[in-house]
Amino acid sequence: MPTELPYAADAEDSLSYDELEVLRIQYQKELNQAHVTIQTKFNYAWGLVKSPLHEHQIEGVRLLQDIYRAEPTRRRECLYYLALGHYKLGNYEEAKRFNTLLMEKEPTNLQAQSLGQLIDKKVATEGYVGMALAGGAAAVGAILLAGLIRRATRK
Amino acid sequence: MASHRTSADSRSSTRSSQGRQHHHDPAPPATGPSKLELMQKVFSPFNHKKSDSTRILSDLAPVIMTPRMMNSAAEVSSRPRHSLANPTLARSAMDFATFGRTPFRFGLGSRRITSGELQVVEATEELLDAEVPEPEGVAADVSLLRGFKATIPSADQSRSRRRQMRNVDTPKLGLKKHGMSARGLLTEEEDHDNQSVASEEDMVVIPHQKKKRGRESLSTAKRLGKEELTRQVSEILRDKENLHVRRSLVNGEITEITHKIRALDDVRQKLEQDLLKLQEDELELDDELEGVKERMRFEEAISSQHPELNSSLHLPPSSRRRKGPAFLPSEHSELPPGVAFMTLESHTTPITALDFSEPYGTLVSASEEDAQPRVWDLLAGVEIGRLRGHIGAVKCLQVEDHVCLTGGEDGNVRLWDLRRVEDDEEYKRREMDSIPEVILEEDENTDDGELVERPNGIRDGASESKEPEGPCARVLEGHSRGVTALYFEDECLVTGASDKTLRQWDLTTGQCVMTMDILWAISHPASSSTFGDPYNMSSSFHAPNPAASSAYAMYDDFVGGVQFWGYGLVSGSGDGAVRMWDMRTGQAHRTLLGHTGPVTCLQFDEMHIATGSLDKTLRLWDLRTGGIVETMQLDHPVTSLQFDTRKIVAACGDNGAKIFNRTTSQQSVLLTNGHTKPVERLRYMDKYLVTGGRDATVKIWSL
Repeated sequence: MPTELPYAADAEDSLSYDELEVLRIQYQKELNQAHVTIQTKFNYAWGLVKSPLHEHQIEGVRLLQDIYRAEPTRRRECLYYLALGHYKLGNYEEAKRFNTLLMEKEPTNLQAQSLGQLIDKKVATEGYVGMALAGGAAAVGAILLAGLIRRATRK
Repeated sequence: MASHRTSADSRSSTRSSQGRQHHHDPAPPATGPSKLELMQKVFSPFNHKKSDSTRILSDLAPVIMTPRMMNSAAEVSSRPRHSLANPTLARSAMDFATFGRTPFRFGLGSRRITSGELQVVEATEELLDAEVPEPEGVAADVSLLRGFKATIPSADQSRSRRRQMRNVDTPKLGLKKHGMSARGLLTEEEDHDNQSVASEEDMVVIPHQKKKRGRESLSTAKRLGKEELTRQVSEILRDKENLHVRRSLVNGEITEITHKIRALDDVRQKLEQDLLKLQEDELELDDELEGVKERMRFEEAISSQHPELNSSLHLPPSSRRRKGPAFLPSEHSELPPGVAFMTLESHTTPITALDFSEPYGTLVSASEEDAQPRVWDLLAGVEIGRLRGHIGAVKCLQVEDHVCLTGGEDGNVRLWDLRRVEDDEEYKRREMDSIPEVILEEDENTDDGELVERPNGIRDGASESKEPEGPCARVLEGHSRGVTALYFEDECLVTGASDKTLRQWDLTTGQCVMTMDILWAISHPASSSTFGDPYNMSSSFHAPNPAASSAYAMYDDFVGGVQFWGYGLVSGSGDGAVRMWDMRTGQAHRTLLGHTGPVTCLQFDEMHIATGSLDKTLRLWDLRTGGIVETMQLDHPVTSLQFDTRKIVAACGDNGAKIFNRTTSQQSVLLTNGHTKPVERLRYMDKYLVTGGRDATVKIWSL
């Protein structure tokens, strides 16, 4: 049975401050009562992940991890959300691992597939940057060496 | 540069071209493999596995491929958890990506890596290892996202929007003012600017205007339009779905909470049981403390007294009231609890009485129709002798250290010195060998202090009563019928007999000090001190209770048990009454009624009296008030019991002794290697229990 998951674009669309505040208040209230329902926790975590602030995203992923640990039945969905969270944070390696685990469980999931592609694209982009840097560093190093050797041979 | 090509080959070829150009001019390609080997050797501590990509990279660009890079590359490749479509590609991509990310991390972005982020990243390993089961129950019905959409506050917006659509503009009605004054709140004076304070005529004019508008329904003023209405229909349907979602979420929560409550209840029960166990331990420690204190006193007394002093009857405090742990051989702790580890077989008829001096000491047991109680050595488990002297069966006995007192059907009480039993036996054996004839031999034997029973069974009555010898140190005569219960402590002995009297004796002189007549006490009850359920006293108390089991149909022992402390004596008798006597006056000052059958066994301590009777009940009485604390209904008559603060051990007709735990109210039966017929008598000290049964055996148990 396919799980209902949001597309990655949904994660880029953040909630308004007020909405997030309401979710946070709800979560705090349940914390004070010493029993937090999974739905409230998820609502707050999802709101945090959608936010553009890095600290919020980290907190959101942490809450999602709590849900993952606590609720075995919800783990499959959480895999996706964790992958999405890590993707937004920039931890592409972790995102990839969660996403591939999800795809093992549910190969036909469209959102998982699209997320996988997104992650790969981002990784490739970073790879290009890395290559460029490596090339640049190598070039600089080569020039320096050439200069040293020339100086040596001259003398 | 080749930044636009995406294949691994091109990447590695790019690097190789760079590498070859600048760093490997002096090294011809032929030495590549050896270089690789060298590299592997050098970097082997860093690499767990060498995949293709890392080998190529390490081969071609050793300078760039620093050990750290090799490390991360090898790490990535050594965690092949998932079979990806293109593992090598992905991993090489990762290597570069790691490299490429560094400027972002440290330079371009001004982000700091917080502890939270690290925690998040480090936790992924453990999470990925956790099992991911199939979703079921609430999780299958309602996905998290669906729940999110249903429960966020904006979900309710459409309803309020629809409500607002139905707002009709009306002239100011001042409803808020009405509402607030209805609640008792002060309303502010409003809108006086609008109204001029001119005259009242102005005010009168307005109602006219209102009337003109007529009595139309508010709804006619508004037109919502078809589009709006259809939109509202779909919104309402969606809201209903959301409601359904929320309901299933709440139901799921309720079931989860119920489970948690059940689990917590289980934990609480276990904790309560632990509490009971602690209570029991505390009682045991209290007993131990008392025992140790007494021991301290005893040892002090022993060391301070002269060793030559005292008669043969000097004893440590009575074993009946001794508490706390006994002295046991160290091997005793290795015994499995609740198992009969020793069986003493010699009797041929059901055991009627038994007692022992101490664990692994000396045991004396008597059986039906047998005038000779047997003496056993419990360390070895062998019979060391017999007590000869009684004419009828021995019905009751008590052993304290080396002194044994027996009461028999002949109405006599004999006092035995158990130390002499062994000598007696040996002499007797020697005697038998040497002189087989039937001759009066008492003259020759008197100096040895031995009483020989003539093989033909004829006794000289005169010599008997004149000088009891051998292990028997004294004979106490006085009762006219069989002695069925006795208790002695220090120099004082109390016996109860079927002639319905209790006699108190002084053991040093051997004289009866007092006689207490139960019959007299029955017919002259102290009016203010009868307790329990009063019943018709004139009913025949000789006749056994019809409810008693058939085995006891002939039971007519009138006194089932006696015990005293100081000058307070408690007796249990065949009319079912438990009487408390004052030994100074010889009067029964209290009668506890409750049993409907003869009382067969009795014991008391500082707080309670425990009695067992043929009416199949075991009763616990409060010593001070005389009220019944507890009544235990059983399946068979109770023939013997002993109790302490934590347990009651009773012989209640089962083949095993029953142990009632007083703190946890649990029962257990000792059956392993047990008797084959009901247990008749029992006695325990600390962890050592001795039982005698109708199968004529005596078994020793470890508690």
